[in-house]
Amino acid sequence: MKKIYYDQLDETLYVETLDNGLSVYVLPKHGFSKTYATFTTRYGSIDHHFLPAGDQEVKVPDGIAHFLEHKMFEKEEGDVFTKFSNQGASANAFTSFTRTSYLFSSTDHVYENLETLVDFVQDPYFTEKTVEKEKGIIGQEIRMYQDNPDWRVFFGLLDNLYVHHPVKIDIAGTIESIADIDKDLLYRCYRTFYHPSNMLLFVVGSVEPEKIFTMIKENQARKGFSSQEPVKRLFPDEPEKVSKPKSEVELHVGVPKCLIGIKDSVKGLNGEELLKRELELLILWDILIGPRSGLYQDLYDQGLIDDSFSYDVTVEPEFAFSVIGGDTKDPDALATQVKDGIFRALNQGIDAEEFEVSRNKKIGHFLRSLNSVEFIANQFTKYRFQESDLFRVIPVLEEMSHEDVNRRLREHIVEERLAVSVVKPAG
Amino acid sequence: MTSLTFVDDTVRQMSVHVLKANKFKTNTIVLQIHQDLREQTVTKTALLSLVLKRATEKYPTSQKLREHLDRLYGAVFDTDVIKKGERQILQLYLEVANERYLSDPAPLLAEGIQFLGEVIARPLTEGNGFFSRHVETEKETLKRKLESLVDDKIRYAAQRVTESMCHDEPYRFHPYGRKEDIDSITPEDLYEFYLHLVRTHPIDVYVVGDVDPEQVKTEIEKRIPLERKSVVNLNRTVILHPVSQAKEVIERMQVTQGKLNIGCRTQLSYADDEYVHLLMYNGILGGFPHSKLFINVREKASLAYYASSRLESHKGLLIIMSGIEIPNYQKAVDIMKEQMKMMRDGQISEQELKQTRATLSNQLREMMDHPRTMIDLHFNGIISGRHRTLEELLDEINRTRIEDIQRVSEKVAIDTIYFLRNHEQEGSSS
Repeated sequence: MKKIYYDQLDETLYVETLDNGLSVYVLPKHGFSKTYATFTTRYGSIDHHFLPAGDQEVKVPDGIAHFLEHKMFEKEEGDVFTKFSNQGASANAFTSFTRTSYLFSSTDHVYENLETLVDFVQDPYFTEKTVEKEKGIIGQEIRMYQDNPDWRVFFGLLDNLYVHHPVKIDIAGTIESIADIDKDLLYRCYRTFYHPSNMLLFVVGSVEPEKIFTMIKENQARKGFSSQEPVKRLFPDEPEKVSKPKSEVELHVGVPKCLIGIKDSVKGLNGEELLKRELELLILWDILIGPRSGLYQDLYDQGLIDDSFSYDVTVEPEFAFSVIGGDTKDPDALATQVKDGIFRALNQGIDAEEFEVSRNKKIGHFLRSLNSVEFIANQFTKYRFQESDLFRVIPVLEEMSHEDVNRRLREHIVEERLAVSVVKPAG
Repeated sequence: MTSLTFVDDTVRQMSVHVLKANKFKTNTIVLQIHQDLREQTVTKTALLSLVLKRATEKYPTSQKLREHLDRLYGAVFDTDVIKKGERQILQLYLEVANERYLSDPAPLLAEGIQFLGEVIARPLTEGNGFFSRHVETEKETLKRKLESLVDDKIRYAAQRVTESMCHDEPYRFHPYGRKEDIDSITPEDLYEFYLHLVRTHPIDVYVVGDVDPEQVKTEIEKRIPLERKSVVNLNRTVILHPVSQAKEVIERMQVTQGKLNIGCRTQLSYADDEYVHLLMYNGILGGFPHSKLFINVREKASLAYYASSRLESHKGLLIIMSGIEIPNYQKAVDIMKEQMKMMRDGQISEQELKQTRATLSNQLREMMDHPRTMIDLHFNGIISGRHRTLEELLDEINRTRIEDIQRVSEKVAIDTIYFLRNHEQEGSSS
């Protein structure tokens, strides 16, 4: 067990990689009532085409990682939620593009809950009957998203940005794609991606690290995992250009929605370079289009945006993109003016003073995020899978220069990598 | 974690509540202004919340205001309007980094309080009104916010079932007000309304962080220069509302999933002795993944992805919510009614009781880990006039027996069944 102290943040992290390859991290947070733990596999919706070690290449139906996440909660003896509820925990799980995370939070019975978490994720139980039953439930989840305009405008944008990359696939899949899922396919994905060497356990809260490490080591030793070679994930070559520059869909909404996206080229980046890329993009957008920018104020004064207008970036080793937008009375005018504004900025560059303000703002927001144990566990895991480190955010920001952001501006803002997605009121 | 309590005080006829907690890396300040939820003022209040956050005398453009916040290490500032029972609350919220974690020793807490003081006491004016151009823009913003309420169908259905149930009570109003009342509001009306509101209505100021309560009090006295007059008394929310017969409301729209919401009256609220029994009732019925609704609507019948219930504790409503395949409407309603009947018949297992005690207690204890939820818990006491500490709540939960829950279930009655569905005819699939 290694101990790392972060002086400026006054946080201590305990780390160990177990014999079976499982990475375990514990961050004690004294004064907090609850403990939050996540058990995460590096397996998400984009991993639909892969080559397990010593096996044949497989392509699986869209939505299977998410389906597997649902099915992990059901066991021969019943539902895992029952057990967590008996122990006063609130449990959940989520599937993203790149990860599947199982989690609980509790203020009591923390060690029992932790054992339950690790055990249920390492004990798959799928039958034809339970798999079929789940299709009804997930079918309703898919329908719920179909009626959600924010979700539709976002996935519409990804579909425009990407020609081949599986990030464009809806995380839950479609009613048709999940129809092809059966228990054998689930077991196959499970064996490929749920080996401890592909997983990370993060525990944060009022806990004693020694006790956790002892418990987890005993637990894992009992299960006798044999070693497993890393799976090879197969991704198509994605062109620089977007798939289509614009799309529109009609839904029953009161106010149209418009998102503008830019696909970034990140091929081969990981580690701290990837973290730096993400932070540069966040600072870039804060300067160009954050609430104190001239562009934001101008759009607001024209009534083209309201406080739903925002930006975000997603940066992963296999794909990265920026998304800007929100509710607007006139999607076409908004898209045109945002484009004009950012291309104007491209010509003018970013000034050093603005960079300083945005950097300090980002530092303040990061401190605020550290109040949240959920943020710490989820973001730490995300960065760890990218071979970087959440606790390097402040040092990387401090080392960044305004020239770095100018370079990011020049490389990121490219017309052929930009697309627009619109949801309009039906009728 | 039992030692965390608010220190209460009064400054300029405002109630000040400070909680010292060194586990947070930021300081949070929330200012809440109470008033009765009423047709005449609901829309003005919503508009006021938008106008106040645009600019102040000192920061006369939004750009200057936002720049100032960004320079305070990205202080997060927002305003909002919510309802708690039949009260509308105008909230100002600011969260700022604790300078202890910065290399720069800027006095961020004092700056944060100063800023909220500028917003609430020195807004940007023009003649006898608010700055008119901002009022005009924000009228449009508010209209758009109201128009966009239909976009999120889950929330829309929750609002519609409440409206249908409370059609002749103030609780029907959305805290953002009514679109048809926006146009006629002038910058002068709004300013006059603002002066009256901040001078005469109850205000609670909360500060949570690694702070010194005495210093906070001094800073508030100095930096929130509101001229306060005597504080008005507000109405009590009407809770008792007998139900003779359940209504059914069907609304049609272009949707793929049906939203089924069942609104119930409980005849009980936060102030009542039996409130915790009602919390337990809701927990067993639909608050958790071990609850009857989740198990029977989702896991057993495979009808829904979400099926749950929640309380509107200050109005005494319980709302069941789910998203279902449209032709399954009757089946889902029957299962839900069946679960309520089981509650009345006392068909509650020891396991359900134990699980709900444990998860509800956990939920409450977890509130102590977020500044906003700590404030909410205390503010519930202010709103209802009945303070319960965390320990008291936990103790009452542990003492609640199946008979107590059964007794409460006698009072819970379906008022309105609301269904949002597609345009197709009955029987045809979507």
